[in-house]
Amino acid sequence: MNGNGHPAIDLHGVSKSFGKHVAVRDLTLRVNRGELFAFLGPNGAGKTTTIRMIVGLLRPDAGTVTVCGHAIGLNGTHAKAQLAYVPDQPFLYDKLTGREFLYFVAEMYGISTERRDRILAELSRRLQLGGFLNQLTESYSHGMKQRVVLAAALLHQPTVLVVDEPMVGLDPRTIREVKDLFIEHAKNGGTVFMSTHTLDIAEAVSTRIGIIHQGELIAMGTLDDLRTQASRQHSLEEIFLQLTETNDD
Amino acid sequence: MTDVPLISPPRVLLGLLLRIRAKAFMNSFRQAIDQGPLRLTATVVLVAIVWFGLYGLFWLVFDQFKRTPLEATVAMPLVFNFFFVAILVMLTFSNAIIAYGALYTRKEAPYLLTLPATTLDVVSLKYLESLGLASWSLILLGIPLMLAIADQTEDTVFYFLFIAFFLAFIPIPGGLGLLLAWLAARYFPRRWTKGATWIGGVTVAVFVVWGLRGLQLGESATETWLRSFLERMSFVESAFLPNYWVATGIDHALQQKFGVAALYLGVTIANALFLSWLAVTVVSAGHARAYDRACSFNDGVYRVPSSSAGGLVGGLFFWLPHALRLMAAKDLRSFLRDPTQWSQLVILFGLLALYLTNMPTLRLHFGGTGWFLIIPFLNLCAVSLILATFTCRFVYPLPSMEGHTLWLISLLPTPLSRLLIAKFVFAMIVTSGVGLSAMLLASWMLDLEPLWAVTHLVVTAAICFVLCALAIGLGARFPIFKEPNAARIANGIGGTVNLLISVAVLAALLSIVGVATWHSRNAPSTYGPSYSALLLCGCAAILAILIGLAALRIGARHFDHIQP
Repeated sequence: MNGNGHPAIDLHGVSKSFGKHVAVRDLTLRVNRGELFAFLGPNGAGKTTTIRMIVGLLRPDAGTVTVCGHAIGLNGTHAKAQLAYVPDQPFLYDKLTGREFLYFVAEMYGISTERRDRILAELSRRLQLGGFLNQLTESYSHGMKQRVVLAAALLHQPTVLVVDEPMVGLDPRTIREVKDLFIEHAKNGGTVFMSTHTLDIAEAVSTRIGIIHQGELIAMGTLDDLRTQASRQHSLEEIFLQLTETNDD
Repeated sequence: MTDVPLISPPRVLLGLLLRIRAKAFMNSFRQAIDQGPLRLTATVVLVAIVWFGLYGLFWLVFDQFKRTPLEATVAMPLVFNFFFVAILVMLTFSNAIIAYGALYTRKEAPYLLTLPATTLDVVSLKYLESLGLASWSLILLGIPLMLAIADQTEDTVFYFLFIAFFLAFIPIPGGLGLLLAWLAARYFPRRWTKGATWIGGVTVAVFVVWGLRGLQLGESATETWLRSFLERMSFVESAFLPNYWVATGIDHALQQKFGVAALYLGVTIANALFLSWLAVTVVSAGHARAYDRACSFNDGVYRVPSSSAGGLVGGLFFWLPHALRLMAAKDLRSFLRDPTQWSQLVILFGLLALYLTNMPTLRLHFGGTGWFLIIPFLNLCAVSLILATFTCRFVYPLPSMEGHTLWLISLLPTPLSRLLIAKFVFAMIVTSGVGLSAMLLASWMLDLEPLWAVTHLVVTAAICFVLCALAIGLGARFPIFKEPNAARIANGIGGTVNLLISVAVLAALLSIVGVATWHSRNAPSTYGPSYSALLLCGCAAILAILIGLAALRIGARHFDHIQP
């Protein structure tokens, strides 16, 4: 049941509405193993709704979502075991220390103590958690919270990492480290699905880019594909602005 | 990167989730001891004083009952039935609101669901959490009541038996509340106008039916009214209702019929367990659809037109300075846009309306029976308790709700304590508007002598003052800025301290008014209050204002020193 041979994330004809508002319309998207996929779009375009459907928090009105070949759902244990999600607003228990929180997540996944300590030592070094891991999380800055949540997501070494705005609030050194972590994750056969507004990061690290606007996928491909589609040889920022502006008209 | 992660999540994670809750609680407790041992000690001492005060008060009431065994035999089961049916209704709504917030609007439940936790784990956790949060202050108040009843007997087994009855009863409204929260998320109309029409329609329908039935009694004599009233309320004594099992069980225990009492305790426990299982199973099975639908409320579909709040504030607070009016408008707008807030207010005032429409209209003379003063006094007590519920639930969280904007407000060229004044004025206008209207209507229905009516109105205004001042003052003294849910703020330690102090202050003030009423009971109904009665009521009003000012001062001093 490891899902070999299946795409890491497969959305087929997915639609989602809230009342009369269509948040996502007929979205078909396939992200393969080893890919670092950047999901871009203006505010309210449908990025977070798509992500919440990928991780099983929302049910599509139409279409199907699978992760490593497993249907996703709130009780989809097989899919959840291969998936990790870092939300845009990190959730931590205020009255736990960072270490207690990470131990809690490790126990949720049933990771052995020895393995947990080994992975945590490595993550702690790379994400520079050492200085504050024994403090209550209520005293953390946004960036510190983001780093702990990221470490919690990587503890069980998931195949698919879904991250919503991962770089917000991080200092330049940590941004660099997170970028390296993502690239390394993809190189090792994992998949990163990253929603972001930071276009230069998407441009620098992603293997493929998708742009969603008003609930519809309006462009997808490598940076070169997007340049062709936009008939421009410029930065991702200019391509993004042109594509989303054109669609507004 | 391994293709299959090396993990084996436990099958049931509820134990782990509860363990992490306990750890967070212990950390919080250690932090409170380290950072403010005096504050913690003062809170514990205060709670203990109020707890023993309540115990003493209940003991006196039941001791009085003991001296009149005939009346006690008739009244006790009825009082227990009404008491537990009131708790049933209050806790059901309280649990529903807390469970709704915990399952469908807060970040924790969705986060846990992206981990290996199942909906059954998460819903079970949230059920237990809302049960604890909604019920712990009532348990705190209910246990002295149960102990006071047990004290009237001579066997220590009653202590455990009565507390067991009370604790076994609590999960029943908890389960009902959880189901109600799920039904609201799953089926409640998405659009504001449609939702408001539903709530308004149901409230008006209940009001009209009960109002008409109340008016049918008209100007009947007390005995006839009482008989008719008890007849209409006999449904609360239905054997299918949980309050009946508890009330009957306690009644049988008091009569030393342990076998029957144990049977009713067993029935209560069995039903509590069954309902808890049913609620958790149904809600976890339907969680995905309900969460889906609740998300569409959160995505902004559910809105109150801003012009209505602005217009309402403009009309009600036109006389306030501009800055205070803006703050009042902000509070009203936030309140009207939060359905979990205003729906509770509708229910609370619906209950007040039901109470008023079912009051006896005593236009006949009762000579020197004393009822012409005792019934209005009991009415004053009932209205005061309803107002205390309102201020503890809705006014107390107001200072804490500023948590996210405090940094902005603290940049304004006015001290933060001015914000409290705005909130106090806002709360006072709403509370006294409702309280005085209710008392005015009741005085008219009871045909109260004019000077007595004015005295009751003055006392009511003073009670509104002290309740609002306590809620705002203590809300500012014990703020929880990180908590966005008003119901959870009201159910925290500070909220419980406020509830207990409000009840204690009310008990003291109403005792003074009660003494004045008791001494005047034999005067003819056409006579106004004596000078001593007026003096006592005046003292009660002055005492209320002094306590209120002290509470506001404590809150303002603390608020001015807060570093956002």
